[in-house]
Amino acid sequence: MIQFKALLAKEYKEAFRDKRALMVAMMMAFLAPVMIFALSKTMIKEMVATPPIYVKVTGAEFAPKLMKQFKDGNILLFKDVPEDEKRLWDERNIALTIPKDFAKNMVEGKTIELVLSTDYSEKAIRAPIRRIKDKIQTYARIIGFKRLLVRGIDVKLLQPIKIYEQDTAQPSSNAAFISLMLGLYLLMAAFMSGLSVAIDSSAGERERNVLEILLCQPVSTLKIVLAKLCTASTISVIGVVLTLTLTSFSVGFVDLSKIGATFSLDLYSILVLLILLIPIGFFASALQLFVSFQAKSFKEAQSTVSMIIMLPTMIPVALMFIDDKPKWLDWLPVSGQSLLMEDLFKNVPINWLEVAATGGVTIAMTIALVMVLAYKLKSEKVVLAL
Amino acid sequence: MIEINNLAKSFGDVQALDGLSFSAKDGEITGLLGPNGAGKTTCLRTLYGLLKADSGSAIIDNIDVALQPILARQKLGIFPDKFGLYERLTAYEQIDYFASIHGLTGEHKKQAIEQVLTDLQMQDLAHRKTQGFSQGQRMKVTLAQSLVHQPKNFVLDEPTRGLDVMSTRILRDHLSKFKAKGHCILFSSHVMQEVAALCDRVIIVANGKLAAQGTPEELCELAGESQLEEAFVKIIGSDEGVAA
Repeated sequence: MIQFKALLAKEYKEAFRDKRALMVAMMMAFLAPVMIFALSKTMIKEMVATPPIYVKVTGAEFAPKLMKQFKDGNILLFKDVPEDEKRLWDERNIALTIPKDFAKNMVEGKTIELVLSTDYSEKAIRAPIRRIKDKIQTYARIIGFKRLLVRGIDVKLLQPIKIYEQDTAQPSSNAAFISLMLGLYLLMAAFMSGLSVAIDSSAGERERNVLEILLCQPVSTLKIVLAKLCTASTISVIGVVLTLTLTSFSVGFVDLSKIGATFSLDLYSILVLLILLIPIGFFASALQLFVSFQAKSFKEAQSTVSMIIMLPTMIPVALMFIDDKPKWLDWLPVSGQSLLMEDLFKNVPINWLEVAATGGVTIAMTIALVMVLAYKLKSEKVVLAL
Repeated sequence: MIEINNLAKSFGDVQALDGLSFSAKDGEITGLLGPNGAGKTTCLRTLYGLLKADSGSAIIDNIDVALQPILARQKLGIFPDKFGLYERLTAYEQIDYFASIHGLTGEHKKQAIEQVLTDLQMQDLAHRKTQGFSQGQRMKVTLAQSLVHQPKNFVLDEPTRGLDVMSTRILRDHLSKFKAKGHCILFSSHVMQEVAALCDRVIIVANGKLAAQGTPEELCELAGESQLEEAFVKIIGSDEGVAA
């Protein structure tokens, strides 16, 4: 115990005195709120905005009231297009022809024929066309209703059936993208934050010739590995906690309800996320130590460990493409936590059995890695990097 | 008491140790001499339990290193061939760290550290971070960390390289004191005057084998030379490595 305490105290001292490495480790956490904030802002802007549409209207002067309706819906005349967008809208070539006898036919109650011509197959034009058609139809319907009303007819007669649309998608599902990003980000934070400490205390110590002396001392390799694991995972957990705190703070500044999302990081979600991510922090550090202890040099350790960083990004993304997920994915490290985080963000009730299972498997794998590493550190191949 | 019995070790095609045997007795300073690549460091690494011998055994105070490495290392103070410092710790913290690893605690540990700092005259270095220490200062910290628990057996791999005259003298005095207290000291070196002045017995290793052993005087007599350096060259059969 005296030995373990000394080992641990020394590892903590070294880790926390390397201010620069610590800053890099916490970088993920400090960038998280910025990323979430910027991402949500752009998404909201894109989803609720009605950008101006420029239409080549022939005979605009014949239907001033329709033109006013257009203007209210940010549908503008092509002659008003700003110079930098002129080419784009000229290419899109949305043309509306209003006949000369528009006013006359309106008064006489005859059907007026407007011609809307453009390349309908082009995807980018669909939204503008929908908005133009909506505007014209609303305008026409209002006039039609008024005509019936003055003749004493209830307009409801025109509506024998009315459809009420109910969207059963969970409101939070609309924020799926943001939550997926946050989930990925948290996993990355768990993997990234402890990284520099893990490499420095293993391959780094070997390169600085202090590992050999330590391994000559009367102390078991298990204690050495555990002390290093505790330190690296502490940094990793600090990274995760910091990311969560800063993110929950920054999410408060974004009004996600504009896009129908009810995404929030309340105390409950933060707690669940921590329960999910703390074992991941330990697992990630154990994996990094395992790899970098066996690397021949600091550089080799760095490049191999960078590959491990791909793990938290690859698995959740790969999971998105699997429709029929096999059961064992719920249990494995990273994939299990990733699926549970998805549930949490979608407001699906958390299956605590799965939380325990995936956490248990993660911890078991961490212990296995530690035991194997402690054993390997007794072999001369690993000790002297032969 | 350190005993090396018929030790053999090869790395691939290179036979580093080829049946090396010798012993270092308590209350004596034993010098390990040999040209570069003779197998000195391999022998010492096997003694620390870092390397596993192909055959033969290394025994410290009747404990076989291969069988009970942790027990054997408790009896050992090591000044290794390649050493580094924890550059983010102060010298004191580093010595404290090694003292704790050897199980020292509380007031006893504090006294042991103060003692070794005084012995090596390095109190003024103690509370500085070791980053930026000179080679000699680094040697002192490493010496202090390997001596702090007053090991019964003390193994030094070329301890005087980079030390100035004053520090070398301090080290020599220190080793003599240890010897007087009945400790066993095994120490490898290239500096012949030092070996001649300090060592009670000299082991000459060449090509992984014992080439000769005895007091410096006996070795000179054996080779028919008056200087240990000349005797050494004659015994190993070449002048390779002497200048290193």
